[in-house]
Amino acid sequence: MTAPAYQDPAYTNGYEFTGGAGYALPTYPFKTPPELAGVSPEKPYDVVIVGGGITGLTLACSLAQLGVSAVLLDEDNTVGVKGASSRGICYTQRSLEIFDKLGIYDRIKAKGVEWHVGRTFAGNDEIYNFNLRDRDDFKWSQQPAFINIQQFYIEGYLVERIAALGHIDLRWQSRVTGCAQGADQVTLDVETPEGAYTLQARHVIDATGSNTPFHKWCAVPMTSIKRDDRWCIADVRFKEQPPTERHTWIEAPFNDNRAVWQHLMADDVWRIDYQMAPDADPAYVSREDVLRERLRRQFGTDADCDIVWVGPYSYRSQLLDHLIVGRVFFMGDTAKVVSPFGARGGNTGIADADNLAWKLAAVVKRHAPDGLLQSFNDERHEAATVNVAVTARTTRYLRPADGVERLFRDATIRLAKHYPFARALVNTGRMAEANPYTRSPICSYQSPQVGKSVQNVAINWVDGSPAQLNDLLRWTADHLLLLWFGPTNQATLQKLKQLTELAPVRVVQVLDRSQPAQARETVRDSHGHLAAACGHPGWVLLRPDSYMSASGTRLDAGFLKQLSTAMALS
Amino acid sequence: MNMAPNFKDADGFYEQLLDAHAGLDERASALLNAKLILVMANQIGDPALLTACIAAAKAAD
Repeated sequence: MTAPAYQDPAYTNGYEFTGGAGYALPTYPFKTPPELAGVSPEKPYDVVIVGGGITGLTLACSLAQLGVSAVLLDEDNTVGVKGASSRGICYTQRSLEIFDKLGIYDRIKAKGVEWHVGRTFAGNDEIYNFNLRDRDDFKWSQQPAFINIQQFYIEGYLVERIAALGHIDLRWQSRVTGCAQGADQVTLDVETPEGAYTLQARHVIDATGSNTPFHKWCAVPMTSIKRDDRWCIADVRFKEQPPTERHTWIEAPFNDNRAVWQHLMADDVWRIDYQMAPDADPAYVSREDVLRERLRRQFGTDADCDIVWVGPYSYRSQLLDHLIVGRVFFMGDTAKVVSPFGARGGNTGIADADNLAWKLAAVVKRHAPDGLLQSFNDERHEAATVNVAVTARTTRYLRPADGVERLFRDATIRLAKHYPFARALVNTGRMAEANPYTRSPICSYQSPQVGKSVQNVAINWVDGSPAQLNDLLRWTADHLLLLWFGPTNQATLQKLKQLTELAPVRVVQVLDRSQPAQARETVRDSHGHLAAACGHPGWVLLRPDSYMSASGTRLDAGFLKQLSTAMALS
Repeated sequence: MNMAPNFKDADGFYEQLLDAHAGLDERASALLNAKLILVMANQIGDPALLTACIAAAKAAD
C-alpha cells in the first residue's frame, strides 16, 4: 500500500458555501507524531480512536471533557467527505443533549434548523401529519425534539472543542493499515505523508465507518443483508424557500410513484431524496440535467435553485454479533449499518460514544474494573439490534416486494386516508430515540425508569439561578450521581457523606422551592420536573450518560449492592 | 384464542363477504381482502391474539 497523497493544506477554519460547487470544508494540518520524531512513548496509549467522523469525534470530545488522554487517527485532513456530501442531517433530542454536555449545543442551535411538523403524502393526498410539540416524551428536556444541520458542521465544532479542551492528540492524514491483537495491547500500523510507524494501545476504538478494514482484521462475525433499494440524494438551495416542515411522499406523482423525502438543513439547503428504480443506473440518475428535470417536475418550471451536492445512494443492513473483540471496540457504523429512515445511524453512533466514554474514563482512572467495559456490548448491542430491526421494517414498507407486500401497502395507504387507525401502519421511518437497556448487567431493575435515559431537565441552584441536569453530569465527570429527593435525617446524611469517600459517586440533595438545604451539595427542583422525569423516587443513581442505573426509596441493605453493580465493582 | 364458533350469524357474514367481492377483478378483490384484514386486525388489537390468528390461518392447510 502506498502512503496517501494529499496536498499540504493551509489551516482554515471556515465552512464556505460555494454555490453549485458545494462547500469548502475546513482542513486540519498534519503534525509529525512522536513516533516519527524519534520519541516513541514507553507505554501503550490508553485509548486510540480510529476515525474522525461524528462518532469518533464525539468519543474524543467526551474523553477530553473527562480528562482522559487519547489519540485519534483520521485518514483524511478534513471533516465530512471529500466532495462535500453532508451525510447525516437530522439530530435527535438525545444527541443534542449530549452535545450540550460537551459544550457545542449553542453553536448547533444557532446554525441548524429546528423542526416540529412532518407531513406524509401519497399521490396528491396528504395522509397524515404530526407535530412533535404535541408529544409528551420530548417535553422535559432543555433541547428541542430535532435540529437539522449538515453533519460536517457538528464534526467541525467537535474538532474545535477538542482543541480547546486538550488531552486529545488529533492526528490527521494518518491511515491505519494493519492491526494485531496481543494479550495486553493492540498494535496498529499507521501510514502518513511523512512515513509509516506503529503504535501500541490498550483500547482501540474502531469508528472508521461502514467500510472498516477492522472487520477483516478482527475476523468479526456478523449478519449482513444487501438491499436493492436505490436512492438519489440531492442537496439544493432554493431562491424561494419551501415551508420549514419535513415532507415525505410514499408515492410521489413527480417521481414515477416512488418515494421522495424533502428535509431542510442549515444555510437554506434542502435535502431531497428520490427513490429510484432498483435497476436504475447510478451515474445517470445523478447527472445534473436529469436531476434538474426531476426538480422541475416537483417544484415547477420556475423553481430556481443551486445544486449543492448530488449523488446516488444505496444501503445495507448489518449487525455484528459482538461489539468488542479482544481490545477492539466497534461503534457507530462499524457496529451496525442501518437504512437512513428514522435517523438511527448517526444518532445511535453518538449514543455509542456517550455510553463508552465514561466507562473508558472510569477504567483508565481505575475507578472501575475492566469488566465495566463489557457492559458497552451488553447495552449498545441491544440498542443496535433494535435499531436494525426497526429500520428493516421501514425499509420493507418503503420498498415492498412486488406482489403481496405491495398489495398490503396499497391497503394501508387507502385506509389511512379515511381512518386514523391505519396511519399507525404507514411507516416512513420511526424516529431515533434514547434506546432503553432492558437487561444490562450494570442496571438494578426496581423501577420502570431504570435502564432509561433521564432528559436534560431544568433545575435551579440553591440561590435560584437556572441550571440543568447536564450541569450536574459535567460536574460528576466519570462518577455516578446519587440524587436524594427531599429532606432526610442526620444519620442518612452521614451515610451519604461516607459513601462519597468509599465509592466513585457524588451526592446531590434535590429540594423543592422552600425546603431547607441539608446536604453539602443541593439543587432545587422548583417545578418538579426532575422528580417527574425520574419517576418520583426517593433516590436515583444516574450514570454520566444520564441513564438511570438504580432507584429506591430508602438507604437499605440493597443500596450498596446496587451501587457496586452500577460500576461493575462486584 | 377462540376456535369454537363465535359468529352470531355465520351464513349471513359469509354472504356479505362474497357480495362485497362481487364484480371485482382479481387485483381489486385482493386489495379488498387486504383492507379487510387490516380493519379486523385493528378491532382485535391484542398482539398475542393477532400472532395466534396468523399462526392458526397458516396451520390450516
